[in-house]
Amino acid sequence: MNQGQKYWNPYIETLPREDLHRLQLKKFKRIFQWAYTHSKFYRRLYEKAGVTPADITTLNDIRRVPKVDKSMMRDIQGKAPFPYGDALCVPLEEVVEFRQTSGTTGQPVYQPDTWQDWEWWAECWAYILWAQGYRPGDRVFMPFGYNVFVAFWAGHYAAEKIGCEVVPGGVLDTQARILKIKEVRATAMMGTPTYISGMAETAKSRLDIDPATLGISKITCAGEPGASIASTKRRMEAAWNAKVFDHAGATEIGAWSYECAEQPGGVHVNEAFFLVEIEDLDTGEPIEEPGRKGRMVITAFDRMAQPCIRFDAKDVIMWDHTPCPCDRSFRLLKGGVLGRADDITKVKGVLLSPAAIEEVVRSIDGLGDEYEVIVDRLGDIDRIKLKVEIAPGYEDMAKRLETVLKDQLRLKTNLGYRIEFYDHGKLPRYEVKAKRFKDLRKGSLHSRRVI
Amino acid sequence: MNQRVDPALLAEQVKLIRAAAEKLRVMGADFPAVDRNALRILASVKMIELNLGDAA
Repeated sequence: MNQGQKYWNPYIETLPREDLHRLQLKKFKRIFQWAYTHSKFYRRLYEKAGVTPADITTLNDIRRVPKVDKSMMRDIQGKAPFPYGDALCVPLEEVVEFRQTSGTTGQPVYQPDTWQDWEWWAECWAYILWAQGYRPGDRVFMPFGYNVFVAFWAGHYAAEKIGCEVVPGGVLDTQARILKIKEVRATAMMGTPTYISGMAETAKSRLDIDPATLGISKITCAGEPGASIASTKRRMEAAWNAKVFDHAGATEIGAWSYECAEQPGGVHVNEAFFLVEIEDLDTGEPIEEPGRKGRMVITAFDRMAQPCIRFDAKDVIMWDHTPCPCDRSFRLLKGGVLGRADDITKVKGVLLSPAAIEEVVRSIDGLGDEYEVIVDRLGDIDRIKLKVEIAPGYEDMAKRLETVLKDQLRLKTNLGYRIEFYDHGKLPRYEVKAKRFKDLRKGSLHSRRVI
Repeated sequence: MNQRVDPALLAEQVKLIRAAAEKLRVMGADFPAVDRNALRILASVKMIELNLGDAA
């Protein structure tokens, strides 16, 4: 095998756009027909909307197909066939994998996969890892609690598929994981940005180990936007002396995007396996032009047990202006997933994205990685409090840090903040997905409305 | 595209493997060790087909 080949799939990843669109239409029609024929849930949905497979003859026709969202999947699960409900398109005995969503936004959603679906998960991840430079000979450490969450399971299987050696760090605690990385001389690992940053801190503070000396050269992140937030990425790369790459995926969707070795400041959509549409947050109109934020609607073309067709993922994304130097024909999303539509909210009449606050906090030397944002309301006035930690050695500089922080936040978010400083290690640490944004404005539907 | 790759030629070989694996499943219907392993072969075959796009 030619390990110098830069594409996992030199054919598909460089397909001319016209051919790619033809392939997408063919594949959409196939999965739509499949769901229409094999799932009572999808048949009801489509019949109610008056759309049949025969109606789909162009990519534009796809917009006639009703969207689904997480709440609809929650409503059907627990019913027959138990526990998935009638979105299931295969006999229950063909399901070989159970996973569920993390439940960050409510009751977890169950996800069934056939063995072919599970191969497909690994295949999607193989695109990611190969693009990021994983090759046979890499020793990949998985600091991940293998459980009902899909997270890095598919990364594990894809690394095996590529030919890497995989070291599962399942039930080990953080210190034991760091020591195991050192012991086996791992060259790559995967984790959420929060956990990767936390590991570096633990290595230094608890084990007196500089993580930059451990020999990790590649880190693949998922689960949070951090690896596409420039300041967070820089911190992780400096701490580990490694390239940090982003990837976005979801339990109900699959691993649909990846940052390539060029680190273009965004992620490629795997457009041979997924159709990504962007809709205006206000009007729902399609957005084709680069540089305009909208809500992602996504279809997984080849997931068969419980299809994902025009799924409203609530992720906020935007197309990039510039092509990637890697020459893939798959389009780029600038900045990866910019946030959750649920989290983008109006404060004092101004749209606020928590990712913008993270970008500021982690760009300032003297501040720690952890922070917490609390929005509440006093009378009719919205207030934002930002809790941050002062990094060790900077304790005497709180006044100056506050001035810089307030100035930068005003510049980047157009809002004023009350700042509270904490000693290093005092704010909560998270092992998987962090919950750093809290909106306490109870009963204020307008304040939570996505604008 | 890498000029050394001819997806159509690859697809011809994949069809042969698929046919053989499907035949194995039929022949191994009463032979779980054959049936289940053939099923896994078919899942891998499907991944190659997906990677060949329209050519497969």
